[in-house]
Formats: sequence, C-alpha cells, structure tokens
Amino acid sequence: MSVSNFYTRWRYRLIPDHVVGEILAKPWIDNSIPALVLVSVLAFFYVVTPNFYTPGNLNDLGRVLGEYLFVGLGMTIVMLAGGIDLSVGAIFALCNFISLLLVHKLGIPVVLAIPIVILVGATVGLINGLLIGYLRLRAFLTTLVVLIILRALVDMLLLKYAGTLSSGAAVSGAAVWDFMGDGTALGVPSSLLIALFVAAAGHVFITRMRLGWHILSVGGSRRAAFNAGIPVRRIVCLTYVMSGALAAAAAIFFASRLGSASAETGVGLEFVVLTAAVLGGVSLGGGRGSVMKALLGTVIVISVTNGLIRLGMPSGASVLVLGVTMLLAVIVDVRWNKNRAKILTRAYVSPTYFDLPPSPSTERNSTSPYALNDKLRGVDAIGLGEVEGPEDMVLDADDNLFCGSRLGDVIRFFGPDHKKWEVYAHIGGHPLGMAIDAEGSVVTCVAGMGLYKVTRQREVIKLSGHTNRTLFSVIDDSRLRLADDLDIAPDGRVFFSEATIRYENSEWMIDALESRGNGRIICYDPRTGTSRTVIPNLVFPNGVCMAMDGESFFFAETWACSISRYWFDGPKKGQLEVVIDNLPGYPDNINLSSDGHFWCALVGMRSPVFDLALKTPQFRRRMVYRVAPDSWLYPNMNTGCVIKFDINGKILESLWDLGGESHPQVTSIREHKGYLYLGGVFNNRIGRYRIPGADPNWTGLAAYWGKSK
Amino acid sequence: MKLNKKLLAAVTSALLIANVAAEPKDDGLSANFYKSMKGKTVGFVPISMGFDLTQGWLAGMQRQATELGYKIVVRDPNWNVETGAQALNQLIGEKPDILIFHPLDMQAYSRLVKKANDAGIAVISLNLKSVNNGDAYVGTDWYDMGLKQGEAIGKLCGGPGKSGKVAIIQGVVTTPGSIFSLVGIDDSLKKFSTVKVVANQAADWDASKARTIASTLLKQHEDLCGIIDLWDGQGVGTAAAISEAGKTGKVHLVTAGGGNRKPACENVANGSFSTYISYDVPGQVRDLNNVIKMYLQAKPTPAGGKPFALYTPLKVLTKESLRPDSCWTVDEITKTGGYGG
Repeated sequence: MSVSNFYTRWRYRLIPDHVVGEILAKPWIDNSIPALVLVSVLAFFYVVTPNFYTPGNLNDLGRVLGEYLFVGLGMTIVMLAGGIDLSVGAIFALCNFISLLLVHKLGIPVVLAIPIVILVGATVGLINGLLIGYLRLRAFLTTLVVLIILRALVDMLLLKYAGTLSSGAAVSGAAVWDFMGDGTALGVPSSLLIALFVAAAGHVFITRMRLGWHILSVGGSRRAAFNAGIPVRRIVCLTYVMSGALAAAAAIFFASRLGSASAETGVGLEFVVLTAAVLGGVSLGGGRGSVMKALLGTVIVISVTNGLIRLGMPSGASVLVLGVTMLLAVIVDVRWNKNRAKILTRAYVSPTYFDLPPSPSTERNSTSPYALNDKLRGVDAIGLGEVEGPEDMVLDADDNLFCGSRLGDVIRFFGPDHKKWEVYAHIGGHPLGMAIDAEGSVVTCVAGMGLYKVTRQREVIKLSGHTNRTLFSVIDDSRLRLADDLDIAPDGRVFFSEATIRYENSEWMIDALESRGNGRIICYDPRTGTSRTVIPNLVFPNGVCMAMDGESFFFAETWACSISRYWFDGPKKGQLEVVIDNLPGYPDNINLSSDGHFWCALVGMRSPVFDLALKTPQFRRRMVYRVAPDSWLYPNMNTGCVIKFDINGKILESLWDLGGESHPQVTSIREHKGYLYLGGVFNNRIGRYRIPGADPNWTGLAAYWGKSK
Repeated sequence: MKLNKKLLAAVTSALLIANVAAEPKDDGLSANFYKSMKGKTVGFVPISMGFDLTQGWLAGMQRQATELGYKIVVRDPNWNVETGAQALNQLIGEKPDILIFHPLDMQAYSRLVKKANDAGIAVISLNLKSVNNGDAYVGTDWYDMGLKQGEAIGKLCGGPGKSGKVAIIQGVVTTPGSIFSLVGIDDSLKKFSTVKVVANQAADWDASKARTIASTLLKQHEDLCGIIDLWDGQGVGTAAAISEAGKTGKVHLVTAGGGNRKPACENVANGSFSTYISYDVPGQVRDLNNVIKMYLQAKPTPAGGKPFALYTPLKVLTKESLRPDSCWTVDEITKTGGYGG
C-alpha cells in the first residue's frame, strides 16, 4: 500500500466526516445560526461593556425582554400562518393608554383592568383578522392602515387625557400593579416570568395542538391546507386576534412599569419585533418557525439594543444597527430557505476510503466459476407487468408465492401455476426480504417501517420498528430506516439486516457512494418483543440466510462484495468470519439450494472505474459537490447474475442473462420444487428458471422447518 | 560651551520639576474641593442628543468636567421613553455619583428616580421634571413659562381690532413642559377676556408635525390672530407654515426655547417669532454645574431627602428687547462654559 493510500485510509477512518451532514440534517439546526449569533453578541458585549452581566442589568433586561417576548410571540404566530402584523406597536400604545386610564385615572381594580385591556387588544386584532382572513385584504397594507388609524386615535386620546394621566398618582395602591411593574418572583422579573410561561404554553400550542398545526399548515401552503379541509379564513383571522391580545398583555406590563402615556410609546415596536422574529429564523414566507426561534431572536435584539445604549452610541445609531441586522437576517432567511435542501444533499453524502481487491474474471468460456452464460435467457415470467418491484419472494407449503410490491402490498400468486394473484395484505411500505416462520406467517422487512408479520389470517403485525440507540450517534439510529432481508433462527429469533441508517429506501444507491459501514444486523427476539443490534458498522448488509446448523447464518455485504458467516449460538458464538471476500459483483439475497448449498443473487457487477473511485473519496466528494445528482457515478446495476456457493464459500456455478431482457438485475432467488424463482427490486415480473437435475420435491420450507422441528 | 549647555539643561529641568511639584495653596476648602472632584462620574440621560438644548448643556458640563477631572457618561435614548428607562437602569447599576436626567415623560421615570436615590445616587432633573422630585431640579418653572406666554399672546391679540383667536401647539403632551405651561397660559389668558383659544394640538416636539398642524389651523381659521408654540424646535415648523401662508407678521407666533442663536434670536429679528421666552441655556449650565460641584463635595443624605429647585430666570425676547448677547451657540458654550466672555 502506498503512503498516500495509507494516509487516505486512516484519515477517513479517524475523522468522522459524515457527522457534519447528520448534524445539518437535524431539524434544530435552524436554531443554531441565531444561537450562534446570540452567543457572539453576548460575548461581544461582555468584552466591550464591563457591567453588562451585573444582576441588576440582567434583571432590567429581563423585564424588557418579557414585554417584547409577548409581542414577539404574537408576531410569530401571525407569521407562521403566512401573515404579518404591523399594527402591534399601535395596539401596544392604545392598550398602554387604556391600562393607564383604567388603573390610574378611573381607579378600576387591576384584576378587572387586565382582561378589559386584553379584550381591547384582541378586538383590534379581530378587525385585522376579519379584514385579512375573511375579506382577504393584503396583510401588509391592512395592518399598516390599522397602525395609522390607531396611532391617530391614541394621539387624540392623549391630547384629551394625557395631562390628567401624567400628574396622577405615580404608583397606584394595588400590589398586583406594583408586582407587574417592578416585582420579581424567584429572582425573575414578573413580565419575563409570565412571558416565559406563555411562551411554553405557546410552544405546546403550536407543536402539539390541532389549532397550532393548522396555523403551520396554512402558512406552509394555504391551498393545500384549504384542500385538506382546514378553515383557512378562520385560522388566519384567529392569528391576528392572538397577536392583538398578546400585544395588549405586553402593554399592561409596560404601563405598570413606566406609567408613561407618551405618544412615542410603541413607535417602531413592530419593526423591532419583526427583526427579532426573522433573526430567530421565523420565516417571512410562513409555515416555518417556532417559539424557541422567536425567543432567541428577541433575546438577540434586546441584547443588541441594550448594549448599544450602554455603549453610548449617538442618536439613530442603534436604529441603524437594528436595520442592518434586519437586512442581514432577511438575506440569510431567504438564502437559507432556498439552498438548505441543496446544501444538505451535498454536504450529507460523505464518501470514505474503501479498497477492493481486483475483481475476479467473468470471461465467457473461461474456467472461472463466474464465466458468462445465457442460462437465464427466456425463463418463464410470473405476473409480467402486474407486479412492481418484487425484491424478494417466498413460497408456502401449498405452493402459493408471496412477493412484495412497491405499492406497499404483499401479493399472493396462487399455486401451483401462479397465474392468478391477489393483494394478500396491505402494509403501507415496500416489503423487501421475506421468510415464512414455523406457523406459516410471512415475515417481511418493510422499507422505512421495520419488521412485520402477516399471519395466515392475513393480520398485519408490527414486530419491530426500532432497536437500541447507539451511544453518541448523531442520527437517531434507533428507528429502522431500511430493514432489508431476514431469516429466522430455529428458536424463532429473527435476524435481519438494515442496509443503511443514513438513507431512505429511495436513496439506497447513494449509500454506495459512501461505502462506509452504515448498516447493521439486528436481532428481534419474539420472547421479549424487543430488538437489539448484534453486528454494527456493516457495509450495506443485505441478504441473510441460516446456515442450517442452528447456530450461524450467512449475510452479504453489498458494497463490500463479500459474504460473511456469523455464529449467534454454539461454541463459536459471537464469531464473525468472512466466507467470500471478493465477488465480481454486489451480493444481495442469499437462500438455500436443494443440494445443500446456497444461492446468492448479485444485484449488479463491479466495474474498474467505480472500484477505483472507492479508493479516492476526495474524488467522489468533489463529484457530489460539483455534478448534478443524475450524473453521479454509481455502481453498475444493469447486469447481474445468480451464483451458488457451498458452506466454505467455494463458488460452484453462476447463471446469467446476458441480453438483460428478462432479468438484468436480480435481487433475490428462491428455489422451490425444482425451479428457481427470480426477483428484482426494479423488475416487473418474477422469473422462473428450471434448474437442471434439481430435486422436484424439495422445498426450502420443509428443508428448514421440517428438519429443525 | 558644552558644559554650559549641560548646566542650562539641568537648571531648566530642576525648575520644571519644582514647578510641577508646586502644591496649590489650600485656603481651607480648596484642597478638599479639588480632591472631591477627581475621578467622579456623572451620568446624563437626556431626551435625546443631537439638538441645541442637550448639546448646549453637555458642552457646558463637559467643559467643567474636563477642568475638574471628573467624567460624564452620556446615554442617548433617542426620543424613546422605553430606551431611556433602560439607559437609566444601566446607569443606576453602574453607580455614578450624580445622575442627571431630562425626561420626555413626567410619569415614566418616577420609579427610577426613587431607585437611584435608594442606591445612594444624587438625582438632578434638568429642565423637565418627573413626578418624584429626586434631589434637585434645575430648569424652567413651566407654570411661569405658561403665564409669560399667555401674557405675550394676550398683549398681541387682546387689543381692539384683533380677532382674539389664538391656537396652541403643544409638544409631547405628557411632559411638564406641556402640562404646566397649558395651565399657566389658561390662567394668564383669564386677564384677556377677548382672547379665545380656538385650537389646541400636540406636535410631539416635531417640527414637521407642527408645520402640518399650523398650516391646517391657518386654513381653518382665516382670521387667526396668534399661535403659541411651546418650543422653538417645533416653532420653526409653525413659522414656516405661517410664512408659506404669507401671514408672517399678521399671525403672531409666541414660542419658547433655550435661546440658541439661530432658531431664537434670528427668528425674532426677522419677525418669524413675535415673542420668544428664553430659558437661557448658558444660565442653566451655570446652575447645573454648581449643583454638580455641590453634590460632588457633599452627597445629599439621605439621597432624595431634601429636594430643592433652581428655577431659571426667563428672558422675554422681542425685536425691541433683543441684544447681541441675548442668544448663544454651542461653540460659545464649549469655549466659555456658559460664563460669558
């Protein structure tokens, strides 16, 4: 091995590149940008202004934060439904005035004043909501007009009442009012405490409750929401009512804190809150955002404005900074939304170093056991054009043939001629590997779902949807993404492969570009009803087949072009042995043959180009970054064959379809009564090949269960 | 020659050292006076920086601070009450020796004045006061200001042959500047039975708002005799509206302000303002600086315990009473610290 190969190999073994993509794929990654901004803002002010972190300042900051958070939550809810509420500042001013009027001038008890003020805010919100939701006016213009009208109203009211309000008692007697304006509980300022409580409730509301989901879906796609039967108009209207009520709540705290009815109250508040929301990652386009994002954004904006005051910036500077921040946030919002998926697909694919020995010869008429032939040409076709993607098939004692379908069904072809068929059971995901257990139930690995059983009464039972989670794995690998093939041990334990934990069924070939040990073998134990991973980090483990000794099984690793044997019981328990280490193609399912050996399907053949690419992960990475996905270099999946090997891994024969007319790609084989049935995950038929000289009475089912029982 | 040079250098440096080291003569108070100024901090939270009043005050304060070796920390809320509250809170946390504030709103900072006093900080309110008194008030007696403005408009519009119709343009309605002035105007207009206030609007200390209001007023009341605009900062807008309507000199404009040369004296001289009541920023600076010196030597105990006021003597400026030194500029205050000459 050359030095550079050695270096590449260890570099890719030691540095977990794939983690980057996995982190980027996390839903919370959206929050990481604002979180990062927040940390740097806080660090900046820590360095620049020495007193930023005194308890006193944090307390004041918290009090202001609480007020803004109320308004920010309202704005976020409106934005989630795809709208915008510019009138929050004016609602805030009006409600501030009314609070002061009620409490300071009219002497109405605070507990009574609070609901009245919130009602006023909600009513203004309702006007917004009726205009925007039901009359379908533009949110931007409507709330802008409402802002202007409310401002004028506040100005008129102030002219009339301001004198009496301002010279009124500085602090009214009510203890509640004092607590709201100046009090703390558990060291947290009252407004922040209550705002956080409302925020927590808001989080539950948005993420866990029907109305919250409806709001998100209306914002995500108004038309789709309408088609799904969601009352779009009412939802939109409601968001404005909530926004108005929350702005009113903020105003009450503001009124109790400052007691100021000044005309400047709430001027520019909508802008600050909007900046906060967008900065936090709440999308202007609707449908994307969370309470956490609103909170993050608000904390950033409040810290920045407070810090700027502390820096003694001249008039206007902090507005300027806020404006620039808003602009940057909008740019990031737009660009991130547009490119997120694109970046993710590229950053997610993380090739690693993989070295395969030179491929064995498959030359026609040579002595190689892999020598090309045409034995599979012109085999019988079952269900031609009627089945879609029978990755695997299995036959029962009555010669009925079961296979999976892309449409999420288990199909049954009635024996013995397999002309008629029916949907045996609908599972919902694409059934891949199949086996029949001792009771005659069909056990199958369903892509994207897990391990399922269909009983003879056609009852669909989920056996396993998850396994134990690996410590420190970034991806939640407890969920089964791509359960692939299985076999059942004599004691009923099911050993099944999960090809990869990093890709869904539709992207399984991308896993070849990585050729990392992304897959695993899992054992489902019916006695406990739980699953545990038994062999982790396998390179696309695929076919699984019991070795007929009751204590070991064979499994294929597709991209590694190898077949291994694993002992789960007996004296060699826990041992793993590579039986075939250098196949000329990519092995898929393995099954028994009537002469005591094993059939294996090769789903595709190796090519020197792709083998070379496996040694140069940098090349594959560049390819993924620079070339469109449909032009990526994939392993050859256009030609495959069937091989037979003995228990020691010696290749006995191979069957080919050179023209590729019937079975260019074989993913599974099953011998039954002298015939070999051929499945293909992309094929539109099941093939039936008459095996010369095979025992016409042999069935896998009897050979396996008959022998062990 | 060489020796001479060395000797000269030695003598010179000896003299220099002696000069630097010379102790100022203590008269019994002066040593303590200078010592008590050094290294102190004075916080200043105006309504906003960037206009004549606050720039003038700061220039005067800064000059004395530099001379006596204490520091002035300015936080600029830019016309926003809420930001001002944050700024005051921050300053209270930083514990300056004196906190000077200039509130936009009478009510808003009441609680903060008490909080600052409780923290042992001497609080001076400047020209506008809060409900809570703090320790000292330096500035205009706004009721008196109102009386003088009412008197002026009464004289201008109360005579025979005048319509007697008068309009008032207030500033921000929640400041003492508006609240008490209005009462004063009301009270003094009682003497002029023919004068009637036909409109009362608020321009929020904003010139463009005042201009809009004034031009509407002039259309509504063809025979309007006079306008009281509570502040020259917005009065220039009102004057512009009057001049646009071609009524300069026919509609009397009574206004008030700090007496900055450009808006005040020049507008009085050219007839835009009929009467201008000046609260004379250089005079206020002098008062303010004196209170600062006082509190830096001896803090009020307890803070907020014995509030007092230094009301600024108001100057009534008309074309006739105008003198070269009636007004000031920020540059002059920077040079003289408000002490003239």
